[in-house]
Amino acid sequence: MSKRVVSFTVNGEAREIVVAPNRSLLDALRTEAGLTGTKKGCDVGECGSCTVILNGQPVNACLVLAAEADGADITTVEGLQAADGTPHPLQDCFMQCGAAQCGFCTPGILVAAKALLDRNPAPTTDEIRFAIAGNICRCTGYSKIIDAIAMASTAQEATR
Amino acid sequence: MKDFEYFQPATLDDALALLQRYRGSGSLFAGGTDLLVQMKEHVRQPAQVIDIKKIPGMDDFAFDAKTGLRLGALVTTRQVETSPITLRHYAGLAKAATDFASIQVRHRATVVGNVCRASPSADTLPPLIADGADLLIQGPAGQRRIPVQDFCTGPGRTVLAADEIVTHIQIPAPPPRTGKAYIKHGRRAQMELATVGVAVRITLDADGSVADLGLVLAAVAPTPLRALRAEALLRGRRPTTEALAAAAQAASDEARPIGDVRGSADYRREMVRVLTRRALEQALREIRP
Amino acid sequence: MSDNAIIGKSVKRQDLLAKVTGDARYVADMQLPGLLYARSKRSNVAHALIRRIDTSRALALPGVKAVLTHQNVPRVLHAGSPHPRSASVTCDQYILDDKVRYWGETVAVVAATSEEIAEAALDLIEVEYEPLPAVFTTDDAAREGAPLIHDREPGGNLVLPPVKTSRGDVERGFAEADLIIEGEYEGGRPTPAYMEPNACMCQWDGNGNLTVWISTQTAFMVRGIIAEVLGLPLHKVRVLVDHMGGGFGAKQDLFQSEFLCALLAKQTRRPVRMEYTREETFLGGRTRHPAKIWLKQGFKKDGTLTARQARVVFNSGAYGSHGPGVTIVGTGALSSLYRCDNVELEGRCLYTNSPIAGAYRGYGVVQTYYALDIQMDEAAHKLGMDPAELKLKNAVREGDIAPSGHPLIGHGLEDCIRRGMQEVGWAALRRRTRDSGVQRRGWGMGCEMHGSSAYPGIKEQGNAIVKMNEDGSVVLLTGTAGLGTGAHTALAQIVAEELGLRFESVSVMHGDTDVVPWDIGAFASHTTYLGGKAAQLAAAEVKRQLFDRAAELLEAAAGDLESIEGVIRVRGSDRTISIRDAVAPRKGVPAAQLVGSATYHPTKSYSFAAHFVEVVVDTETGQITVLQVVPVHEIGKIIHPIAAAGQIEGGIQQGIGHTLYEDYQIDLKTGRSLNANFVDYKMPLSMDMPPIRTVILETAPDPGGPFGAKGVGEDPIVAIGPAIANAVHDAIGVRFRHYPIRPEQVLQALREKQADATAQNEEGVTA
Repeated sequence: MSKRVVSFTVNGEAREIVVAPNRSLLDALRTEAGLTGTKKGCDVGECGSCTVILNGQPVNACLVLAAEADGADITTVEGLQAADGTPHPLQDCFMQCGAAQCGFCTPGILVAAKALLDRNPAPTTDEIRFAIAGNICRCTGYSKIIDAIAMASTAQEATR
Repeated sequence: MKDFEYFQPATLDDALALLQRYRGSGSLFAGGTDLLVQMKEHVRQPAQVIDIKKIPGMDDFAFDAKTGLRLGALVTTRQVETSPITLRHYAGLAKAATDFASIQVRHRATVVGNVCRASPSADTLPPLIADGADLLIQGPAGQRRIPVQDFCTGPGRTVLAADEIVTHIQIPAPPPRTGKAYIKHGRRAQMELATVGVAVRITLDADGSVADLGLVLAAVAPTPLRALRAEALLRGRRPTTEALAAAAQAASDEARPIGDVRGSADYRREMVRVLTRRALEQALREIRP
Repeated sequence: MSDNAIIGKSVKRQDLLAKVTGDARYVADMQLPGLLYARSKRSNVAHALIRRIDTSRALALPGVKAVLTHQNVPRVLHAGSPHPRSASVTCDQYILDDKVRYWGETVAVVAATSEEIAEAALDLIEVEYEPLPAVFTTDDAAREGAPLIHDREPGGNLVLPPVKTSRGDVERGFAEADLIIEGEYEGGRPTPAYMEPNACMCQWDGNGNLTVWISTQTAFMVRGIIAEVLGLPLHKVRVLVDHMGGGFGAKQDLFQSEFLCALLAKQTRRPVRMEYTREETFLGGRTRHPAKIWLKQGFKKDGTLTARQARVVFNSGAYGSHGPGVTIVGTGALSSLYRCDNVELEGRCLYTNSPIAGAYRGYGVVQTYYALDIQMDEAAHKLGMDPAELKLKNAVREGDIAPSGHPLIGHGLEDCIRRGMQEVGWAALRRRTRDSGVQRRGWGMGCEMHGSSAYPGIKEQGNAIVKMNEDGSVVLLTGTAGLGTGAHTALAQIVAEELGLRFESVSVMHGDTDVVPWDIGAFASHTTYLGGKAAQLAAAEVKRQLFDRAAELLEAAAGDLESIEGVIRVRGSDRTISIRDAVAPRKGVPAAQLVGSATYHPTKSYSFAAHFVEVVVDTETGQITVLQVVPVHEIGKIIHPIAAAGQIEGGIQQGIGHTLYEDYQIDLKTGRSLNANFVDYKMPLSMDMPPIRTVILETAPDPGGPFGAKGVGEDPIVAIGPAIANAVHDAIGVRFRHYPIRPEQVLQALREKQADATAQNEEGVTA
């Protein structure tokens, strides 16, 4: 089928790509847009590795068509750092707490966590667990991930 | 996914025209959390995908104390999960939307999409049926209205014609002294297809006996199952422990579950009994005096 | 606690920044100009001859550049998991065969200009199968006259001749026993379910050199077998491993896709990348070996063990993979853990037309210790003893011969049990009144031991090269793989500690078989123990050279020098020189070229654990929820506390999954996979994980490890299972002897228990 031009903003930068309608946003971000930070763990919305923020909401990029993201505002893991490279508090806390081991689920969880803190700056442990219930991690057992998100929320609240 | 033609109609009429033109080979596309999965797994291969997300007016979310709640086709499960209206008046539906799937999916999946997918284990169907909801359907001949209870005809099958679109759900306002609950059974705390789901809407009259109720089961029949015999046992009676137990047993007897990798038929039947009782108890506790 | 400068501290892991920023490249993130995408066509029958396979329509699809089947790939019999110098190698695989032996086996591969085209091409490949009779259980495979899945010794669908171990005299042991307990235990089919699907990318250059980027735990093994099967010398095959997204043992195998990727790249003269879909990680991946264990033990009435006899049967699936190793290690483990002079064990491994079982964290010991520890609990119950006391009494200790044939060092297991009992207030818990309502809580404990290194099954070797730059900073070249556990950080800590450098002065080079010294791969919990020791020895050699040079400059004897934080000091004086100055060039003297290399042949060290678990059972739904876990581990020396805790917590998650939720199932009539996806293969997620209060002890360091350190990767997944099963017994008085324990089995058991109790009451009444 004929390809079409899709324009969106990713991590604050305007991008234009050309894709067929059957191209997922995940594949388009990873290949056409060259942003390989977002991972493909299952491609059917079951693992959360492909979580991106689309128009302010955390979604599985594998279940969004690239074509329907025309005009959208997207944040991926690559957009968490500040422009000067300063890590986001979540990134800092993940490193400090040892919340990443193999790192494959990490981008998706960081983005889901950012979406959580954007809407709920001081979540309880239960709220954190619930917010990342759709993100599978097979290495860490989640303890340190939850600690890191809680630590980041405290750090962010402190600077408010 | 196989190739397809992709349309983003700007009006409902345009969408209907596309459905008409591609009758049988086109699919409607809203949240995509069912459609795209089915396409990737080669269960459905539509040659045309008709995206309704650009159509204005399809995302209404309006509550009126007399006529109840009106949800447009584009209302997401996330909106239903978080709205103070649903949390207060449609607790069963809100719970179903919460337990439904990950937050990433809830932000995209629509309630109407979950209804139209008509999976036997769909979470939103039992509370909608228990609440007496209707669907508003637009077709080439105009609009029709059908109770959700009559919508599903089999696993993945509904009375919706290939050239029709469900535009709204209308859920009646709950009468006073009404409590609602939805319990979903699965092995894990979240991220589950229901092994069994039970939705209850129960209304007491002034003297504390059951004026009316809806008791609907998921995943134990080809379509959501309204446990009419169980309801009959409670209607007009006081909701005592014995009465609830009897209703739970009746619901279990009415269920027609199959066995599969998620659970055996016997176990599902037993869970209907346990969870019906728990859902009734929970719904009764929700009733504000 | 630690008097080391760097060991024992949770230094900042060097690989984490790339992981949290999205910069870390996994194979599927890598692009090359002209890249083609490969996909596999898989069988939809469990056991069949391929009568005909027609790829013409696929080849005709625009964008398809090559299609391979058994007809156009080299036919070389090889081992799927060819660890060199090892007894546990099964040569039973072809790259592609004219026969399929399990549902989902690869029958063809396609390379095309996009993933979508490659996928579309799969449907255009026509295959005609001639079905053969299939067997899916070890009982059926072992039967007289069962269809043979492989035509090789020893026959009878055995992967290897039965493994037999004995010592003492079990007949006499049983004769001396006051109590004899016998039971059958069964383990299901969990899979590793790593988050990064298998991926590899291959490219040839004009001179016939092949480069392979791959997500693997065993880069040198991949290099070796690809070279062997494709007929290349080793220096023409280069294997690169950058980041990989989990393996848990399973990515120690060859998956056939590596050869196929290389062959597609050769034929098309373009780079080819193949990524498994999630479904393929199930269909074409590696599972844990399902197991049946018959176990019989004798006890004196004071709890002393007198005899142990076991028959273990592992289900290998369609190919041998790690069958021999798992059988030998899993069976052999039963000779230990709880001391027994009279032991007679036999382990078998059988082919079936099921998904291939391979290496998975715990390696046979998850299965056998599930049985052993639960039976100890059963014995305690019958003897009227506290199970923790019974296990403590019989726990192996200093001097006892371990399964490796070597004596154990220290009292690690006893230390773990005692500490755990103290942490949870075990004695009081035992005395408490048990719940009688719908929700019933229970406490249980389970023990384990696990060896670091695959010795003696594989004569392992760890190599390291340390070179010091002219500014005193250091590069460690290590062949050890980076699974994501933080191992390379630990190795850098060891080198820094040994040399007296600041941690930040050490960088680690890994993952390139052309550059780093040979390494056997990351498995058997041996990276810290084996790779770390080699690194320590190489660093020690550099230190010797460094001190020789510094001694001259400080006019002291090399033996009087020590270094810390990058400064060399003459002991007991204030004469110092920075390491940088000691190696830097001076007028007329070039910079020092300090390089140390070391090879280490380990034996084996054993780590220990005792897990204490609280569960709650919903007696109306049968659901079991783990409320809290207190895992106590003894690992000799903690190199990086957070990384060690991370291994324990992650292993517990997988173990909870094994015990309560995870089972990769097949239809027992057709062999078709029933849940090759995350919808129905259920792993514990964020809301299912209990709080974990980890305790790590360093009471039994092993001199064979760097600074006494032993492994920890596999221990947690072994101990948690029996702890949960025993806790369930404490909660509801029902004994489960299998995993996973399903809610409906709990309900069924409760019903039967109720029926028994009712019957007994009635008898009591009428009596």
